[in-house]
Parts: sequence; C-alpha cells; structure tokens
Amino acid sequence: MWHRLGHWLLPVLILVAFGGVWQLIALFYPPALFPGPTATIEALIEVAINGTLWSNTWISLVRFFTGYGLALLIAIPLGLLFGCVGFLRRLFDPLIQVLRPISPIAWSPLAVLWFGIGSAPAIYIIFLACFFPMLLTTITAVKSVPAVYLKVARNFGVGSGMTVLLVILPAAFPGIMSGLHIAVGTGWIHLVAGEMLGAQSGLGYMIVDARNFLRTDMIMAGMLVIGVLGLGIYRGMRALEDLIGRQWGIGV
Amino acid sequence: MSAIAAGPGDQLKPKIVATGLEKRYCSARGGETVAVMGVELSICAGEFVCLVGPSGCGKTTLIQMMCGFEPPSAGRVLIDGEPIQGPNPDHIMIFQDYGLFPWRTVLGNVVFGLEALGMSTPEAKARAHETLQLVGLSAAAHQHPHQISSGMKQRVAIARALAVEPSVLFMDEPFAALDAFTRLRLQDEILRLWEVKRTTVVFVTHDLDEAIALAQRVVLMASSPGRIQRVMTIGLPYPRERTHTDFSEYRRELFEAFHLLHATAANSAV
Repeated sequence: MWHRLGHWLLPVLILVAFGGVWQLIALFYPPALFPGPTATIEALIEVAINGTLWSNTWISLVRFFTGYGLALLIAIPLGLLFGCVGFLRRLFDPLIQVLRPISPIAWSPLAVLWFGIGSAPAIYIIFLACFFPMLLTTITAVKSVPAVYLKVARNFGVGSGMTVLLVILPAAFPGIMSGLHIAVGTGWIHLVAGEMLGAQSGLGYMIVDARNFLRTDMIMAGMLVIGVLGLGIYRGMRALEDLIGRQWGIGV
Repeated sequence: MSAIAAGPGDQLKPKIVATGLEKRYCSARGGETVAVMGVELSICAGEFVCLVGPSGCGKTTLIQMMCGFEPPSAGRVLIDGEPIQGPNPDHIMIFQDYGLFPWRTVLGNVVFGLEALGMSTPEAKARAHETLQLVGLSAAAHQHPHQISSGMKQRVAIARALAVEPSVLFMDEPFAALDAFTRLRLQDEILRLWEVKRTTVVFVTHDLDEAIALAQRVVLMASSPGRIQRVMTIGLPYPRERTHTDFSEYRRELFEAFHLLHATAANSAV
C-alpha cells in the first residue's frame, strides 16, 4: 500500500516541491526577469485561449515526425546494409565517424542557406539529430545478431535476401528499437534549435517571438510545453518498446 | 553379442565418406595452425557415430566440414557420393545453443525450416504439429523459447531439424549445456527418434558415457594436430543399461585410450 502510494505520490510531490521553490525564488526578482510558475501558467492559458498554443504545437509535431520519419527511412536500411556487409561498413566508417560528432546546430547556417526559412531547415536539423543514433544502433544491432541464427538460416537453405527479412531484421529489432528511442530524445531536443532559424510557427518560434516582446513568462510557457510533450513522446516510445520486448521474449 | 548387428539402421552402404580431410587456419601472427589433418572416415547410412575427444582435438571443425559450414583446406567430404559444397537442408546441424529464434513461437520455429523449403503455411503448420507431437512438445506449441526449459529448447531444435526429414543429423555437443538429468532423458529421446526415423547421426561430445550410451561406433580424436586416433565399435544392444558391467568395460577401454585411468586402476585386472 505504502509502496504503491510512494511509487506515484513521491515523484508528484517532488514536482510540486520544485514548483514551490521556483515560486519562492521568483519572489525575489522582477517578474519580467524571472517569472514564477503562476505567471507561466497564466501565459500558457493565454496562448491556449487565443489558439496559438495548439497551432504551434501541431506544426512542431508535424516537423518533428517528418524529420524523424525521414531519418528512419534512410538510416534503418543503410544500417542493415552496413551491418550485413562488413566491406561497406569498413569503407564508410571513417566518413560516419567524422560527420557524427558535428552538432546538428553547427549545420544551421548552411541549413538556412540551402533550404531557406520555414519548415525545411527545422526538419533538416531534426533529421540530422535523429539520423546518426539510428544508423549506429542499427549497425551495432545487426552486427550482434548471433552467428548461430545465420547458420540455421543457411542450413535450411534460406537465401540472403530472405535471411535479412526473416532472421536479421527481427533479431536486430530490439536493438534498432533502442536507437529509435534515443533518436526521439535527440530529435526533440533539436526541435527548438531548428525552429529558431527564421520559422514563423512552432514551439521554437513561440519562444523566439516571446523573447522579441520580452515576454519571459511566455518563454517559460514554451519551455514547459516542450518538456511535457517530450515526456509524453518518450513514454509512448517506451511503452512500444516494452510491448515489442515482450513479443521478442527479452527484457521481461 | 555381435559387434556388427548393433543398431537398427546398420546397412553397409556408405553415407558419408571423408578422405584426406584437413583444415588449417592462418593465425594473426602469420603462422599456420593445423586444426584437423589426415581424416579418413566412412559412415554408413542410418549409422549413429559419436566423435569424442578433449577440447582442441578438432571434433567441432570436423563436423563443421562434414556439414558444409567450413570448407576443408585439403581432402573432401562426400555425402551420397556428392561432394559437399555448403550447408544443405538434407543435412541439418543441431547446435549446443539451440539456435531457436526468440521472436517465433515453438511452432513458428519448426515452421521456419519447412517454409524455407517452399512448403505452404497450412501444410507446414500441420507437419510442424506432427513433429512436435513426436518430440512430446505439442502442449508448448504456442509458447516462446524464453518460456520453456533448456531441455525443451533443444527438443524444439531437434523437431525443427526432423520436420524437414534430413537424411543426416549433425549434432555438435547438443546436450553439453543441460543438467545431468535432462541430458540422460534427451539421450534416450534422441535414440528413440533415431530408431523411428533411421536418420544417419553424427554426434560430437566430450562426455565419454554419452558416447557409449548413444553410438554404434565411437571415433576417438586426439589433439595437436587434431586427428582420428582410433575408432571403437560399441557392440551393446539398445536400450543400453548405463549401470551394466558391459557398459563399464567399454567405459574402461575409452578411459584407457584417453589415458584417464589412475596408475593403480590401470594396473589392476578387470
């Protein structure tokens, strides 16, 4: 009973305590410099009523899932290819290792130059942030498929194309899934950066716009929405991962 | 007790013939290691043969070459008179770590081999159910590998192999990871299946008792370089009583061959 209660109640209490400390600190500063939680909630209600909250959230989610989906469509097949063909992997490894440590934000001037302003550079930044975690975890997952699975497939006369489809892909799936999970985090983090590149909508734009009008309460409101949505997407992803883990008979 | 009429499938037609079989590996420092050399072995159709030896004697390399997973450096393996080019669904290998696909059910694992041969799904399912019944796993058909015991897992792997009706079953230390009780049960099980199916079985083990309990002939191997030291015929009728004196005599002979007897025991007469 107490254990159950603690499971839910304590984390909520910590959130409430955080809000309390935040409010307390806010008392010592002018609201324009350090808005408290009440000012932030008021700003949130304001954008919820005038509707900009919903339209900005929607466009941000669309951009996020477009960038994420594009990365998925390219990184997973490429990861399968590099994972299966050691020769290609060795060929491309130095290139991947050079491109990977470059922060997606470093690409932002070029992204604007190439794609103009609006949704495209934001999607490009999110794509980059998702691409490398997906690619690298897929390669690792394919490489760590137990050799005995491949031997069994060969023994029963399964061709290489069908082996990828029937053995390698399902065997690597839990590993690929963890890459998709990591990419949700890195992609979402870079959403704001992408939307600060001259976009005229989205949660990142909401923050930039609020800064231009010195609406610090609105900046905090934007941050709050990004945090809560991030939590929601992360939780959804974890639920999906657990479901697949159960199906695959691992991580139970 | 005749040494020749040992088993039910004892026909004198050679099924597997290895001649001048040799495997060398290049080590990282540029030197060469000889894993197996000079192997001459002929196995009859329907025969049960065990390869026994200490680790490093090349018994796994030998069975991998016979099944076609490893190309030999010299010599060749013929099965039914045809040289082995690679793995083939007519010669199925059973591994120590089962090689079951965790994302498929027990039934799905057996169906995998059948569908790989181009069988339609309903037909494959029917055959898989039959084979699972043969190994006594009908009740577990819809469970996943992580839900069943190690002994059951190996029986699923055996069912997956038998379902495609191979003429040869290669088994690479299949029971080495199982506890002693499960191992004894599965030894009886594989003998029962062998008598039903009359499949040629080549079985690698480092357990001398296992070899005597199962094989019509035991191939004793020695290491550095890996080679066949001696071939011993086990002339005991099936089912074999592991506590019987005849069994102990073969045991003593095998122990002697591997120099495992203590000095005092070696001197005393049986």
